[in-house]
Amino acid sequence: MPEITYVEAIRSALREEMRRDERVFIIGEDIGRYGGAFGVTTGMLDEFGDKRIIETPISEPSIIGAAVGAAVVGMRPIAEIMFMDFTLLTLDQIGNQAAKMHYMFGGKATVPMVIRMPGGSGTGAAAQHSQSLETLLMHLPGLKVVTPSTPYDAKGLLLTAIRDLNPVCFIEHKLLYKTKGEVPEGEYTIPFGVADIKRDGTDLTIVSNGIMVRKALAVAERLAQEGINVEIIDPRTLVPLDSETIINSVIKTGKLLVIHEACETAGWAGEIMAVISSSRAFDYLDAPMRRLTGKNVPIPYNRVLERAAVPQEEDIEREIRAIVKGAY
Amino acid sequence: MGEQKANETFTEKAERLKFSKDELLDMYKTMCVIRQFELMADKLYALGKVHGTMHLSAGQEAVAVGLSHATRVDDYLINHHRGHGHFISKKADINLMMCEFLGKEAGYCKGRGGSMHIADFSSNNLGANGIVGGGIPHSLGVGLAIQMKNLDQICITIFGDGASNEGVFHETLNMAALWKLPILFICENNKYGMSMDIERVSAKLPIAQRAESYGIPWYYIDGNDLLAVYEHAHDAAQKIRSGSGPVFIETQTYRYFGHSKSDRNLYRSKEEIDTWRTTKDPILRFGNHLIENGLMKAQDTELYEQEALRIIEAAVAFAEVSPDPDPSTVAEYVYA
Amino acid sequence: MPVPVIMPKVDMDQEKATIISWEKNEGDEVQYDETILTVETEKVAIDVTAPAAGTLVGILYKAGDVVPVATEIAYILKPGETLPNTPTVQTQASTTTQDPASVATKSPTPSAVQASPLALRVAEELHIPIQDVPTKHQKISKEDVEVYAASLKSPEQNSIVSTDKIAATPAARRISREIGIPLSSVSGTGPSDRIQAGDVLRVEKPSPAPSIDRQAEIVPLVGMRAKIANKMQASFQDAPHIAETIEVDVSRLESLKARLNDVAASNGKGKVSLTAIIVKLVAWALERHPYINTSLIDENIYLWNEVNIGVATALENGLIVPVVHGANRLSFTETAEKINDLSQRARQGRLELTEVQRGTFTISNLGMYGINQFRAIINPPEDAILAVGTVTRKPIVIDDKDTIAVRPMMSLTLSADHRVIDGVVAAKFLSDLASVIEHPELLLE
Repeated sequence: MPEITYVEAIRSALREEMRRDERVFIIGEDIGRYGGAFGVTTGMLDEFGDKRIIETPISEPSIIGAAVGAAVVGMRPIAEIMFMDFTLLTLDQIGNQAAKMHYMFGGKATVPMVIRMPGGSGTGAAAQHSQSLETLLMHLPGLKVVTPSTPYDAKGLLLTAIRDLNPVCFIEHKLLYKTKGEVPEGEYTIPFGVADIKRDGTDLTIVSNGIMVRKALAVAERLAQEGINVEIIDPRTLVPLDSETIINSVIKTGKLLVIHEACETAGWAGEIMAVISSSRAFDYLDAPMRRLTGKNVPIPYNRVLERAAVPQEEDIEREIRAIVKGAY
Repeated sequence: MGEQKANETFTEKAERLKFSKDELLDMYKTMCVIRQFELMADKLYALGKVHGTMHLSAGQEAVAVGLSHATRVDDYLINHHRGHGHFISKKADINLMMCEFLGKEAGYCKGRGGSMHIADFSSNNLGANGIVGGGIPHSLGVGLAIQMKNLDQICITIFGDGASNEGVFHETLNMAALWKLPILFICENNKYGMSMDIERVSAKLPIAQRAESYGIPWYYIDGNDLLAVYEHAHDAAQKIRSGSGPVFIETQTYRYFGHSKSDRNLYRSKEEIDTWRTTKDPILRFGNHLIENGLMKAQDTELYEQEALRIIEAAVAFAEVSPDPDPSTVAEYVYA
Repeated sequence: MPVPVIMPKVDMDQEKATIISWEKNEGDEVQYDETILTVETEKVAIDVTAPAAGTLVGILYKAGDVVPVATEIAYILKPGETLPNTPTVQTQASTTTQDPASVATKSPTPSAVQASPLALRVAEELHIPIQDVPTKHQKISKEDVEVYAASLKSPEQNSIVSTDKIAATPAARRISREIGIPLSSVSGTGPSDRIQAGDVLRVEKPSPAPSIDRQAEIVPLVGMRAKIANKMQASFQDAPHIAETIEVDVSRLESLKARLNDVAASNGKGKVSLTAIIVKLVAWALERHPYINTSLIDENIYLWNEVNIGVATALENGLIVPVVHGANRLSFTETAEKINDLSQRARQGRLELTEVQRGTFTISNLGMYGINQFRAIINPPEDAILAVGTVTRKPIVIDDKDTIAVRPMMSLTLSADHRVIDGVVAAKFLSDLASVIEHPELLLE
C-alpha cells in the first residue's frame, strides 16, 4: 500500500471529491497560487480554477458566513481557516449560524459545510497561532468535531465530512502534516462516531487524539518491552463520540488516562472522565481516572517553554508508569 | 444614482411602472395585513400569550411590499429579526406564521425558532436572523452558488441601520463587489438601532454612501413611498440579474413600536412618533394616492382594514388550537 | 519527679491488657509495691503494683479499658511533690479575652475543668490554654491536648477528613459485592491503604459463601478462642498424631480413692478426685518413660527433668490448662489439693502466669460427661496427651478360665507426636500406666 503524507491524504480527499461532486468548492485565504498556508491546496487551482478554489480577502467571519450561505442553498463548501485560533473571530458564524440553523428552522435548513482548521503547537507560532480549541466547538450542539491523527484517518474522515449534511469542524494538527502513513488507493470513507483502537493492551486505557496519539504509541512500544501493555484509543471524532469503545476498554483494563494537547481546564478529558464515571465502566475502575493535558497557559514562544507547555513523550511515560505502579 | 425622480404624479408613475388597478389594490391590502399582523402580535403579547419577545415592523410596510413586488418570488431572501412584513409580503402562509409566532408544532419552524427565526426554505426564504448583521455574509455564499449554478435568481439581503456598523457588513460588501455577486442589499433605516439614533452611532451618513467605497452603486430613498421602493428595487434587480454586481438601496422609514417588547421608547419623543404616524405613514400615503386617483373610495380603507383583521384573527384562531411540540422531541433536528 | 505507672508486659506475645479494676483511687496514698490495679491478658490476671511510694494521681484509664503495654496509666507523686500544674483548672467567665480561634472549641461547661498532670504539662509546652481543649471524658488527657493542637494547624494539614468509610476502588467494591467478602475484612494495598480489586480477590473466600437468609449469631474469633484455635491448628498440623487406647480395670483405683477421701474428710481437707489420683499415677509412669515427657523444639528433643502435668480445665468460653509442677514428687493429697486450688482459681480467672507455664504432659478427663473414649490434641510444646474416659461397669473376663465378672472399666487414650514417640514407646508407657492403675501398690517400688 502506498505511503503518503497527511497533507497529501487531505489533498487527495479534496481533489477526488471535487472531481466527483461539482457542488464542492473550497474558500479561504491564500489557497490558490500559494497553495494554502500549509500547502494543502497546492496545485488545485490549476485543476479546478478560481471559481472553485476561491481566494478571499482577510475576512474570516465572512468566509464562514459565505460557506453557510452556500451550504444552505445546496452547495458543499469547504472553508479553510488558516489557524484554528482564528475561529474565535468567526464564532458567530460557526456557533450562532452554522450550528443553529438546522435546529431553529425546525429541520428545514441543512448546512452541509466543512471548516478545515490547522491547530496545535510546536512550530514556534506562539500564543495566537498555536491553540487546540476543540472543546469550544464540541460545546455547540449542531457541529461535528473531527481530529484525525493519521493520513489514513484524515482522508477517510474528510470524505465523510464533505458528504455529511451538517457543519463539520475538521481539525488538522500542524505537526502531523509531514507525517506519513499507508493510505489505500481508491475511494473509502471512515464513519463518524467510530473510535479506532490504535493499540491493543491490558494494563491501561489511553484515550488521545491528534499528535498525542503518535506520542503515546511511541511510548507504548518502549514500555511493552518491559511488560507494560497499554491500550490506545483514538476517538477520531469528538462529536459524535464513540463512548462504547472507550467504556469497553476501561472495563477491560480498569484504568483510564486521557491525553490531549488542549489545556486542562474544561478540556475534553473531563468529558471522557464524566462519560466513564456515569457508565457501567465505573464499577470496573481500579484506580482514579487521570488526565495528562496541556497546561493552563497560552503557548509560549521560547522552544523550551513551548515544549514544557504540552505533554511530551517523557511526561506520557512517567504518567503511564505511575498509573501502572498504583501511585494514585 | 442618488435621489428619486421628484416631478411625476402618482398615476403617471403607476402607469410607467405598468401597475394595474388590481395590483395596486393588492399591494395596499398586503400592507394592511402586515399592519394588522403587527398590531395583533402586540395585542397577543399584552395578553400574555407570546413567549419571549418580538420585533415589530409596523410603519415599515412599504419597504416590504415594494421590495417583494419588485423581485421574483424565487429570489433568495435573507431577512433580519424585524422581518414579519417581508415574510408576509413574500406570500407566506399567515396561519403557519402565526403558529410559529406562538411556538406551535405546525409553525414554519415547528415552534423551534419563534418570531426571530421564521424561515421557509422551500420558497427560498432563507430565514430571519437573530444576530444583527448575522445573515449578511450568508449572501456571499448564496451569490457564489447562484453564479456556480448559473441561475438567474438574485439574493436580497435585508438588514437595518444598526447592522451597517458590524464588521461583516463591510467584509461582505467588499467581497460582493469584488466577485460581482448578484446581491441586492437593502438597508431598512428606521432611524434607530435599539435605542441609539443612527446619527449618534455613524460617523458619516447616509449609510448607503459606504457602498461607494466598495464600488457598489447606491440609492438613498424614502422608504415609506411604496412606488419609489418598488421602482428602485425593480431597476436594481434587473441590473443585478444582468451580472453587473451588487446594488445597495437604503430606505428611510420608521417603526412605531419599540425595538422589542422591553423597549419603553425613552429615547424618542411622542411627538416624533406621532409626526411619522400622521404625516408619513406608508399605508396612509399610499391609500391617499389611491383615493385621490379614484382607484379606491375613502370608506374602503376601513373595509381593507377589517378584511386584514379578519385574516389575522383567523390565523390566531388557527394557531391557538394548534398543538405544541411534544417535549420528547426536544433533541430532534440538532443534526441532519 | 512524678513516677509513671506503666501497663506491664508479662507474656511474650502480649500487646495489650484489659483493666479489670482499680484497687486504689485517685489521690490515695500507696506504698511501694502495693497493688494499685488488676489487669488481664489473654491468659491470666495480673496485679500491677506501685513503682514508688506516694500519692496516686492522674489515672487515665478505667476498668474495662484495653490499654497497650508500656502505656502510662497513672502517676505517683512523692510526698511534698507537686506536678507543674494543679490538677484542676478554673475557667474564667466569658468576659475575659480569649484567643478568637479557640473560642469555638472551648469546653462546653464554664465550670472547673479537670485535666491530667501530663495534659497540663503538654498544654503548657504547646502554649495552649488548657481550658480550650475539648474532651469527651471527665478529664482532659494528653491525647486530647495533642489532637486539639493538631487541629490548630494549617487547613491543608487539617484537610484529611477522618471518617469511618472504607477507601476502596469501584472495582474492589463490585468484586466484594459479587463474591460476598465484606470490605471491612480486606486490607488494602493501594495508596493510603486504598482497597483495590486484587486485595479483595486475595482474601480467602469463606466457605460456604454466606447467604443472607440464614440466621446465625455471629461470634468473632478473637481473644482466648482465637488463641485456642491457632494453638490447636498448629499442633494438629505440626505433630503427626498417633493414638493408642487401653482399657483399665479401676476397681482398685476406686477403693484407693474412697480410702483417700476418708482420710481427707477426717483431716478437713478437700476431696480427692479421680483426676488427681490419675495425675499422680501418670507422673509415676512418666518418670519411667522419659521419652513421653518431652518437647520437640527446633530439631531438639528435650527430655524434661521435671514432670509437670497440666490438667485441662473447661471454662465458660474456652479451656485452660493449669499445671501441677513436680507432680512426681507430690503425695496424693498434695496433688489433690493443688488440683482443687488450680481449677477453682482457673474458673475465677485468677491463675498466675507461672501456673499455666512449663507443662510437660497434659491430662484431659471427659469422664464426668459420660464420654467413653476420645482422642485429645497434643498441647504444644508437649509431645503427648492422655484422654481419660468415663468409668463404666461392664462384664469382662477376669481370669484364664474365662470367668466373667462385672468390673468398673475406664478407657485411656494416649495421643503422641510420632516425630518423637514411636508406637511401641507409647504402648509401653500405656501398659505401665495401666499396670499401676490396676495395681497401685506398684507405686511403692
